[in-house]
Order: sequence, then structure tokens, then C-alpha cells
Amino acid sequence: MRIDRTHRSWLVASLAIFGVASLLYGVYRVPFAAGSMGGTTAGLAFGSAGFAFMIFAAMLGARKRVPVYRFGRAQTWMRGHLWLGLLSLPLILFHSGFRYGHGLTAWLMTLLIVVVVSGIFGAALQHYMPRVMTREVTMETIYDEIGHVRAQLLEEAEELIKQATGGEKKVAAGAGEPDSSAPAIAVMDEVAPLRNFYEQELKPFLERPGARGSALGDAAQARSAFAQLRTLVPASLHTTIEDMEGICEEERQLTRQRHLHLWLHGWLLLHIPLSLALILLGAIHAVMALRY
Amino acid sequence: MLFEELKDIQRQPDGTPVAAEDLLRLPVFKDISPQFLKKNANATVWRHFRRGDIVCREGEFGSTAFYILEGKANVALATPMAHVKAQGRPGGFLAQLTSKLTSRLTPRQEDRREDEADRRSIPIDAPVDLAYDHPVAELGPGELFGEMTCMNYYPRSATVRAETDCTMLEMLRNVLDVLQKSKAFRAQLDETYRRRALDSHLRDVSIFRGLGQEFIDHLRDRVELLRFAPGQMICKQGDPADSFYLVRLGFVKVSENYPGGELVLAYLSRGDYFGEIGLLGGGTRTAACSALDHVEVVRISAEDFRAMVEMYPEVRSGLERAARERQEANQERLRMVRSVPLESFLAQGLMEAQSLLVLDLEKCTRCDACVTACADSHDGVTRLVREGLRFENFLVATSCRQCRDPLCMVGCPVGAIRRRNSLEVIIEDWCIGCGLCAKNCPYGNINMHSFAAQAEDHEHPGQKKAVVQKKATTCDLCTEHAEPSCVYACPHDAAHRVEPRDFFAGTLGQRVGKTGRVRT
Repeated sequence: MRIDRTHRSWLVASLAIFGVASLLYGVYRVPFAAGSMGGTTAGLAFGSAGFAFMIFAAMLGARKRVPVYRFGRAQTWMRGHLWLGLLSLPLILFHSGFRYGHGLTAWLMTLLIVVVVSGIFGAALQHYMPRVMTREVTMETIYDEIGHVRAQLLEEAEELIKQATGGEKKVAAGAGEPDSSAPAIAVMDEVAPLRNFYEQELKPFLERPGARGSALGDAAQARSAFAQLRTLVPASLHTTIEDMEGICEEERQLTRQRHLHLWLHGWLLLHIPLSLALILLGAIHAVMALRY
Repeated sequence: MLFEELKDIQRQPDGTPVAAEDLLRLPVFKDISPQFLKKNANATVWRHFRRGDIVCREGEFGSTAFYILEGKANVALATPMAHVKAQGRPGGFLAQLTSKLTSRLTPRQEDRREDEADRRSIPIDAPVDLAYDHPVAELGPGELFGEMTCMNYYPRSATVRAETDCTMLEMLRNVLDVLQKSKAFRAQLDETYRRRALDSHLRDVSIFRGLGQEFIDHLRDRVELLRFAPGQMICKQGDPADSFYLVRLGFVKVSENYPGGELVLAYLSRGDYFGEIGLLGGGTRTAACSALDHVEVVRISAEDFRAMVEMYPEVRSGLERAARERQEANQERLRMVRSVPLESFLAQGLMEAQSLLVLDLEKCTRCDACVTACADSHDGVTRLVREGLRFENFLVATSCRQCRDPLCMVGCPVGAIRRRNSLEVIIEDWCIGCGLCAKNCPYGNINMHSFAAQAEDHEHPGQKKAVVQKKATTCDLCTEHAEPSCVYACPHDAAHRVEPRDFFAGTLGQRVGKTGRVRT
């Protein structure tokens, strides 16, 4: 989600809540110069509010599971997740009196910090990465279709090389008169660099696009490799080389798309499980603290 | 018995090739070369059906035509006469909150859609059309059905069942092709068409509903039945308009030429018509019409047409109104095309849409929440593909891409898919669910949706059985809700439903003009 002008009202409200909470903490903190206790009325209020914000933030996952239910727009839930989730950190710090604690409370504080930091990191990624992806991956496809598109590119490349070598065979067949064997061999020699390039560079690159060491994986190196190839084959094959360059470019873009997609969504593998653990342990802490 | 000659013919078991000598005894084969029939000995076979047997089922693919020699067959559409409509659950506040859209089959009487055809008959691949209200008809000796399937390999358009014990000839395309060139056969087919289908075809054109029976009887013998080979031009854009045409068989491509390309407006199929506008004022053709496959049309001459409009003033006023609307639309389209760069032509197609779903790629995290929401809204069948035309940082994920060449329309055996005036696709109630349009659409924008339905149980006459009926569907923008589900479910404020003219003119107008970059 892009953090832009449309978040202003949420920012203002969050700052207001933070301001009020800070004021109240200041008022509450002073009489307890020896250290505040989370079990006091004010401490419980901060803790409850902070935990309530965490639960609301966690409910975004549940909300996404029922996308068609008209419980408020998903966008509103996401903004609430971002801002109220962020607010939960200072509120819990106020609840604990900025003490780290030990045992369960220490784990909770660690989890909270990691979850909030990972959330901020994820929000930053979701702010910037879509623009990067739109700019750099002009041939974007649906992520789940990448494998299928890759297979199609490989087929296309194979078809190109077949047509190029098929043209070679026709020329060789046409030149099959007894005294024209020299030109036929010459034609076959002219196409050989293209075929070799396909077998040694292009095909391995398309079959294992993520593999290191391929010149075609880098745009600048690929450009110079294709430029060199052009000098080795007749002009009639330059169109084929252009098509191959196009296939390579698309393959590189698919690799880039995959890479960016993993960044855009990979952080959730940390954020979500830790958030659930935070909620669970937070509930246990609340029960234990209140009961005992 | 229609064919007295059948008495002299030795009947062979079902599936046995018909001997050339036996075929030549039949009047319709008398012009056919005996050598041809001998060379193609296995191309025509005997078919015997007992009462109640199914000859062919709607939606099945085939490659043969049937010619009835004896007996009667019943031709009907088993598909429910209804289109797919997504509706929310009625109820109070809580019901509205948790309301999922449910797709159900809704007949025309309950849900009238914009630009829905007011057709009373359904064109099928037989010498008769089926009435919308009661889609059942009878075929008898001397009648041919399955021509389109045989010539063009389209799916069967209806279910044919033997009403009495029947004897038929089942033939392949090479035999039918030769038969269609035979004068005797053509005369019989033409006579059957004039007697059984011309009336309903004319009356299906809403403007002509007021025609008296005596005038239709007058027209019956005066109309000309013409055949066109695939690719053949029927009339060119700019030609003087001098005839009115009804499509009897095949698909006619209607296209307009613009600077830089051709725009296919429609594929007309059996029962559709063209050419009426030019006849009123002696104008010129505003579009080119060509045969997409093997086409037969009914031509009404200018003279008969003028007699008709003089005799029936309400027909004239209806035609003038239609002509005015069509010309205004043409002028508007031409003006828009001329005012934008060549590369933006596809944008023009999108401008015609009623509404567009646009994704802002600079906000979209590619989480597919929109697609999931669409599937959840439509019983698990998504109608949204997060891919489409890109304009700068916007992706237009429309349900229908308003293709220049709407391949979805080609081959529909019952003419159920067509374009509205806004160029969006509408699928009529009589879609038989064959899936050809979904296969033909290169963008996957047409989906087949399964419904539980009741159908006649032919093994137990009088009883019904539960069947799964498929219907073609496209995005309906969740009209039951204030916002489409995809937009509502987007957590990143990336999905928007926009009015296309405002979007392209206001948001993109300048940028599209400057960059001219359009990515397909």
C-alpha cells in the first residue's frame, strides 16, 4: 500500500492518540518514580488498549479470508492494521513502563518489536516495490504463470532455431547439384555459430534461468554477446537473432519479476507467524497476570 | 411416404454405407455424379433410430449432417432459457454484511438487460427456428439438419430425438458439399426454408413484427437465396445499398475500415440481418460484410423493400429510427478514431465500454485479493484475469477487451453471443453451454459456469433428472453491490471502477497522446 496523502486522517488520528497517551503516561509516571507497574489501573488501560490494537491488526488476516463480506472495505482494514498496529508499540511500552521484563514478558517485548519492525519494513516494501516492478518489468505476467510462460519461451526459441536451420537445409538441398557441394557446405558453416550459440548459451539459459554464470542473465553482457553473434552470421539471420534477444529480455524480466515478487511477499513469512505468536502469548500473559 | 423410391431400396443395418446405386434412386441425389458417389462410398451411411433414441445432443462436436428419409424427429433445446445473474442474499442488516453473491439462472422476464435482443425465436442448425417460449419443433422426411456442424465443425445446436422410428442418411462434408451444388437438393432446401423459417426470421426483426401475413406470403416466393464461400465479400463499405439481407446459414463478418485498421463490429449468424439502413435513403453501405465460413443469405430486393415500407408506415418509421441511431453511433466512432493517435486505437475500443476495472500498478502488490474476491463472489468461478492492456502505470483488467476481431462470436451454434451497442459482449438466455466462445476467447475472459438443472429423462419419458448445465459468463461488475467485489476487496487502493471517457480523457488523455505507447 502506498503511504500517501490519503493516509493523512489516519496519521492525524494516530498522532492524537499517541499525544493523549503520552500525556496520560506522563501524568501517571510521575507519582511512581520508583517504577511503574503494569498491573495498576493506568498500566492495565495502556495494556488493554495496546492489545486491542494488536488484535484488530491481526484480524486483517481474517478479513482477507472473507473478501466479499461487506464488513468495511479491505483498504480501511489495511490502514487500520498499519496505524493501529504501529500505535500498539508505544502503548505497550507505556504499559510496561519501558521495562523489558523477564521470562514471558521479555519474549513478548521481543516479539512485539520484531513484529512492528518487520511490519514497517513490509510497509516500506509495499510502498516502493510496486513502482519498481511496474518500471522494470514491462512484460509482467501473473506470478503463477511464470513457469508456463517460460516453457512457452523455450518452445519459441526452439521453433526459431528449427526455422533457421530448416532454411539452411533447403538451401543445402537446392544447391545439391554435383558441382555445388562447396556452396552447400559454406551455407551450413554460416549457420553453425547461431546453432552453437543456441545450444551452448540460449537453451541452457532458458532451461535454468536462475543459474549463475550465464552471460545472457545480464542485459549488458547479453547485448554484447548478440552483437558478436551478428558479426558471425549472414544478414538474413539477423531477424532471428533479434527475436532471440527479445526472448532473452523477456526471460530476464520474468526472473526479475520473480525476485521482486519474493521481496514483496516474502517478509510475510516472518511477520505473520510471529504476529500470531504475539497474540497467543499476549493472551496468556493477560490471563496469567490478572489471575496470579 | 415422401420418398416412393425408398420402396425399391434395400435397407441396410445402422451404420452401413449406402450404396451409390441406392443413393442415385433418391431424387435429391439425381444430379450427383455416380463416379463421385462410388469413390466416396463410405461417406454416407444408413442410420436407423427407434422412437425415443437420441440422434445428437446440443453442445457436442460433430462433423456430419443428417437427412431424414422416414419418420419424425423432435428438435429441442434442453438448456434452461436463462442467463447467469449474480445476486446477493436478501435479508436484514446482518445478511447484507455477510452477503455473498450467488450466481443463478435468471430468465429474461425477471431480468431485462440493456441491449438484450428481443428475439422470439432461437436460430439453430436446422430448417426451422425454435420459439423462445417453447423451444421445441418437429422435423420430417426431406429435411436436413446439422449443416453448420458438417460444413464448419461447429457444435451441435440442439438435441434431436426420434419421435417415431426414423431412417436417416448421415453424411460427411464432402457429400454435403456436392449436394449443396445440386439443383434438385437446393430447390428442396430452399422450399423448406421458405415454408418453415422465413416467416419467423422476418418477424424476429422487431421492426418487421407488424407485417401482415399476406405480405410475407408475397415475399416468400420473391426472395432470393444466395450462397457465399468462406472469405467472399457480400457487400463492401461504400457500395450503394440496394438489398436487405437475412442470414440463413453461417457467419457474416461485419467490419468497418478506419485509418490504420479494420474493426470487426459483429459476427452475424442465422436469423440476423443487415442492409436495412441504406435502403431507406438510397445511401451507401457503412460497413463491409463478408462470409466468414459457408454462408447462405436471403436477399430482399430494393423494390420489394420499398413496397413494404410504403404499405407499412410503422415499418418505415422503425427503420428510420434505427438508421438514425446507427449513423449517429458511426459518426461518433469515426470522430473519436480520427482524433487520437493510431497507436491508441485499442483505447477507442475501451472507451466504448460502459465501465472499466483499472488497476494502478504503482499501488498494486500483486496479492490477487481481487481475483480471490471475484471467485468468492461467483461460486468459485473467477471472472477476472489480472492481465490486460497497459496504459502507463494502469492495467485495464476488463472483463471484455472489445477486441477488434471478436473471436468469441465465431461458431456459436445458436447465435447466443453478440455485441451490445456499447461493444460489450452479451450472452443470451439460450446459450447451450458448448464452451466454444470460452475456447475462442484468447484472453480467458469468458468462463463456463455450472448450474444444477432439471432435464427430461429420455430413458424414463415423463420424468426429469438432475443434470449439470453450463452457461457462458463474463464479468457483470457485481451490479448487485455499490462496488464490485474486486474493488471492495483490494487492500491497497489499487483497483478502481472508472467511467472510461473520464478516465482516458482526464487521466490519460494527454499522456497517451504524447507517448503513444500502448502495450497489449
